[in-house]
Amino acid sequence: MNLAIQLKRGISAEVYKYKKTFTFWLLILAPAFIPVINFLVMFFRGNEIIKVGDNAWEVLIAFGTNPGNFLFPFFIIMLALLVNNIEYNANTWKLIYSQPISRIAVYFAKVKVFTIMLFISLMLFSTFSLLVGFILSIVSPELGFDQPFNYGMAYALNFKIFLATLGMASIQFWISQHWKNLILPLGVGIGGVISFLILVQGWKYATYHPYGYHVLSIGGIGAEGFNLWGDMTHVYYSLGLAIVVFILAGIEQSRKRII
Amino acid sequence: MDHPIIKITDLDFYFKDFKALDKVNLNVPKGSIYGFLGPNGAGKTTTIRILLDLFRASSGQIEVFGKPIDKDRDNILGKVGALIENPSIYKHLSGRQNLEVIKRMTGTSKGRIDEVLEIVRLKDNADKKVKNYSLGMCQRLGLASALLTDPELLILDEPTNGLDPSGIIEMRELIQELNKKHGKTIFLSSHMLSEIEKLVTDVAIIDQGKILYEGKLKGLQNGNNAKELSIELTNIEAAATIIKNLSFTISATNNNSISLPIQNRQDIAKVNKALVENGIDVFQLKVTEENLESIFLNITNKLDQ
Repeated sequence: MNLAIQLKRGISAEVYKYKKTFTFWLLILAPAFIPVINFLVMFFRGNEIIKVGDNAWEVLIAFGTNPGNFLFPFFIIMLALLVNNIEYNANTWKLIYSQPISRIAVYFAKVKVFTIMLFISLMLFSTFSLLVGFILSIVSPELGFDQPFNYGMAYALNFKIFLATLGMASIQFWISQHWKNLILPLGVGIGGVISFLILVQGWKYATYHPYGYHVLSIGGIGAEGFNLWGDMTHVYYSLGLAIVVFILAGIEQSRKRII
Repeated sequence: MDHPIIKITDLDFYFKDFKALDKVNLNVPKGSIYGFLGPNGAGKTTTIRILLDLFRASSGQIEVFGKPIDKDRDNILGKVGALIENPSIYKHLSGRQNLEVIKRMTGTSKGRIDEVLEIVRLKDNADKKVKNYSLGMCQRLGLASALLTDPELLILDEPTNGLDPSGIIEMRELIQELNKKHGKTIFLSSHMLSEIEKLVTDVAIIDQGKILYEGKLKGLQNGNNAKELSIELTNIEAAATIIKNLSFTISATNNNSISLPIQNRQDIAKVNKALVENGIDVFQLKVTEENLESIFLNITNKLDQ
């Protein structure tokens, strides 16, 4: 049986086990959190926030991006924990690793489902943000959501954030897989996020800090002539790191003694 | 004789510096119910994990269905169903949904889920969430998932562990049915000697990582002239000390008697004399027929130290 079929089976089983779990609802509801708040803010105070001459859409997207950039790493930390802890909790590592599918296929099925979950949640975030704009254009037409806007931009922006966070996602995934402990991945993750926020104030190497690639990758947003795909440095850092960590974690998993 | 289904040769395994398995050799014949017997911590689960490629041997060869496990892992595991220690079950899913996860991993047909639920008698509770299952039901669900691919070989690690008496009887009937009716070779480990005695055709005894006996159950009983001596007496505690000082192993005690395995008639006189000389009243000396329990104790010679 070739690896492609094994991977397909692994993914199919992996997706199925999140049926009726907290993880599933987190995936859908977490991306709605910021858009719902933004809707309320814009609905009640939109006329103060959106100045004459502003593009209402750009203001709305920018309003989502900053808190999104801050909260998304915590979402990654939680998701990495949940997808690995489901096996620790149910004692099922030994079950899934004694099936007639190679260990590598089982491992990459999980990695793939994890990264696709991150991707879906970001795309949902874009969709919900745009939805807020469309609803506002109906309920508060005076805010100016009838102006033209490149909707694809909202998706492109979050796609870049997806790429730029894969690096830290791989680290969190590895830690959560390696240790049964819940606190350790949380501690490392929160420490990573906070330390970046502090170091970026003045440390010259902060640009290499994996928990900040996504922030740095869209650093110039809102500035005149900002080109989303102009500076890809941090996306490459992130992807490079993700490839290395996911492969090393895979090698570890294929050799590990499964308890 | 057919080629053995499992053939383990000179298997060593280390946990850091601790030698958990020491030159283990096993041959499991096709169609047998093979009892893998030993006290807790003797190396049973470690051996089973190596058979399933969850642990990798430090040295030695493991062949299953005549093929080395490290070369042909996926094919071998496709023909093996396993139940290892505590049940591996997603508690937020129903019994049927748990089987669906494994079904998807193995590519088994849809109808097979109902078949295995029927075999393990879980059909009526299949759609209940597993967190509402009793331990016995969890064990049977684990067995169902082991049976999903219709494997030729079942590896069951302590399948009756933690079950109540009716659960134990049920599990035993199931194992017998799977062997007789479905023709499966069954490799099962246990530390419960009385359980295995009624079930198995072949047996291996392991202690401290070493195989002490392997062969037919009958051979073990005939080749070993162990009998059990049961003594009715006063002052159990003092008597137990005296008996231990004579380097016998005590297999059971209750309010008014002590049981111990013995090798020959001389042992009876020896024990009796020591007891009487130490002022203990002996009311009755009774030699019972050999049973696996006493043979096991004789071989491993370590319980109740």
